[in-house]
Amino acid sequence: MPEMPDEAALELEFDVFARRAGLEIPDDRKPALFAGFKDLRRMLALMRQPRTAADEPAGTFSILSVTRAL
Amino acid sequence: MTTGLDVANLSLVDAADAVRNGEVSAVALLEACLANLDAHEDAVNATIWVDRESAFAAANAADAKRAAGGPLGPLHGLPLAHKDMYYQAGRLSSCGSAIRKDFVPDYSATVIDRLSAAGAYAFAGLNMAEFAQNGTGHNHHYGDCRNPWNLPYITGGSSSGSGAAVASRFTFAALGSDTGGSIRLPAAANGVTGIKPTQTRVSRYGVMPLSFSADNVGPLARTAGDCARIMSVIAGHDPRDPTSADMPVPDYEAELNGDLRGVRIGVPTTYFFDDVDAPVRDAVEAAASVLAGRGATVVRLPLPLMDAVAAYVAVVSRAEAATIHSQWMRQHPQDFATHISGRMFPGYAIPATYYVEALSRRGPILKAFATEVFTQVDLLVTPTIRICLPTLAATDIDNGPPGTEHLALGISTNTRPFNYLGLPTASVPCGFDPNGLPIGLQISGRPFAEAAVLHAADAYQRDTDWHTRRPSIMTA
Repeated sequence: MPEMPDEAALELEFDVFARRAGLEIPDDRKPALFAGFKDLRRMLALMRQPRTAADEPAGTFSILSVTRAL
Repeated sequence: MTTGLDVANLSLVDAADAVRNGEVSAVALLEACLANLDAHEDAVNATIWVDRESAFAAANAADAKRAAGGPLGPLHGLPLAHKDMYYQAGRLSSCGSAIRKDFVPDYSATVIDRLSAAGAYAFAGLNMAEFAQNGTGHNHHYGDCRNPWNLPYITGGSSSGSGAAVASRFTFAALGSDTGGSIRLPAAANGVTGIKPTQTRVSRYGVMPLSFSADNVGPLARTAGDCARIMSVIAGHDPRDPTSADMPVPDYEAELNGDLRGVRIGVPTTYFFDDVDAPVRDAVEAAASVLAGRGATVVRLPLPLMDAVAAYVAVVSRAEAATIHSQWMRQHPQDFATHISGRMFPGYAIPATYYVEALSRRGPILKAFATEVFTQVDLLVTPTIRICLPTLAATDIDNGPPGTEHLALGISTNTRPFNYLGLPTASVPCGFDPNGLPIGLQISGRPFAEAAVLHAADAYQRDTDWHTRRPSIMTA
């Protein structure tokens, strides 16, 4: 998922996601929505980081527990 | 008794105190705000609806109550106006959309109730980005909100009308909402003060949701002191919003004393100043010096994981926005502006594992931020917006050339990370760019440290006058 496919593969992926979400996207809106989709794919590439013990449930803090720890 | 249009130029705190002391009537405050509205609304387009009849009824009732001996709340007799997404029973709440153009809720938001209990009343619904979903202030249904300092330029969004109305003296303060910068961006762009509180600090009951993990409610007003007074009224646990934090609420105003001795101010050496425009960088650096002059120590430090943080919050908010709007996207896709559809659609393409990944990283990253950053400094200062403000035309995604979206979406680059981290963050005016448009200084603190953020903002405003200046449409 993180790596960017070529334009044709991205368009296919875009159509699949729209169909899966039950959306009928008008032709005149497709370029704008596709641009947003490509921007998202760029961001997804940043997301995967190594997971450590800190990422396991017992190591996960809420904003309240972090505040108590300060 | 103070009379005439100048009363609309008072800060919220001064106006409230003037009403309390009998120096000015509530009706006079309202008349002054409406006079400014009548003079400048055609140019600025900050409102969606105005209810003059009920406003005068409320102002007269406020004056009668004072004459009868009170009791008077801390906002007694103040006319306010809010982003048009705060539900008020029996009143339109368009959310800046065509889809909700006739939506009249039968209950009111908790924050509206709390402001009313403090003596304020709402007289207008303010322009905003459609469903709070852009950072520029474009709205294709109600017309774009225009910057009162230079009309062809953006107001910032999504609380566009809130920023423009406070700057134009249509109201003493306005509620905005902030999911990726929507209080701080219009505060910066319009030369006013705004604060996004800690995530869950203020109830969201009766407020249009955009992203339940990142939405925040907060005020825009002229001064940090004004924001402090409003925060003291609206903050705190609400049984009707189970997500609201059950934490004590300090008297924010009482902590404003201008003394920053012992306060460590962090200036990031990573992310926030990347590709920053020179006038913005110079204004923020000058602001750090002003804070140092008040006794603060300035520390330069790198911040961890900021690029990832910006991506995580975008993934979370887009997935949640797509979920909230999914029924309308299926049934009324043509009723959304194209740039709103384009922003929301990617939410449908986010795999569940990525959404969960983004949420599960939030705690560890916040903890790392707390231990690596907030052990070295007490507050962070950054530019609210990295660039000098662009025009409405240059950021009109629907009518601009390809690539316009990058400029428009880039407006919130420096604000979004604080929504993911959930940290309280204010924006205060700190200068002007070569086009005569305001520059904003962002001040962030530890979770639930709104008092420290407002304290620094107030200290800064004691030595500067950017926040007292009036927009060019009012001085021409």
